[in-house]
Amino acid sequence: MQDLENDIRNLIAEIIEKDPSEITPDAKFVEELGVDSMMALEILAGLEKKYRIAIPEEKLASITTLKETVAIAKEFLEAAKTCNV
Amino acid sequence: MFDIEKIQKVLPHRFPFLLIDRVLEVEPGKRAVVLKNVSINEGFFAGHFPGNPLMPETLIMEAMAQASIMLLADEGEQKKFDVYLGSVKADFLHPVRPGDQLKITVEAIKIVSEQGLVSVTVEVEGKLVARGQIGFVVKWM
Repeated sequence: MQDLENDIRNLIAEIIEKDPSEITPDAKFVEELGVDSMMALEILAGLEKKYRIAIPEEKLASITTLKETVAIAKEFLEAAKTCNV
Repeated sequence: MFDIEKIQKVLPHRFPFLLIDRVLEVEPGKRAVVLKNVSINEGFFAGHFPGNPLMPETLIMEAMAQASIMLLADEGEQKKFDVYLGSVKADFLHPVRPGDQLKITVEAIKIVSEQGLVSVTVEVEGKLVARGQIGFVVKWM
């Protein structure tokens, strides 16, 4: 879980061009980190590519903090695992 | 394949700013391949640069963005929409000169109802001259 969080933090840091240390679990993407809707789509697309998962559009609105983003990735990683069994 | 008539049903751009001449392939929402012919008669060559005509990279970027809109061709022919460039990351690798034909290939990274993220390559005679990632926002009317 910690590794997943760190990997996603680094992925987000690269997209939003911030130092990973600024992306604390509860830092608000829009208000505190200057994330816009285009960056949110890049984050979603980045997660899909990195973890080979498909995340539906309605989850885009939930990409608001690192904690929420990790929860989305986890949900769809688990769904993918279940499908593969 | 789309000819210029059909291109103009999708793109609102007109002279001197319609930077696509032909669409070779479209898989709506997924992929498009288009052509832009670069003629010495293009107005910008008069000033960019006298005696050394080079297509401005910003216009190559614009052609890449217009090509990206072709992913919306299906819906775009039936419904009106505004499209805005949201983000651009691009590399320009070789100059484009009069007589070149740009072959622009757009591949969807992620398309949702009002936004899209695509990767785009531009080739001249098989040589990569530019590549980039474009994000756009669509407002359907």
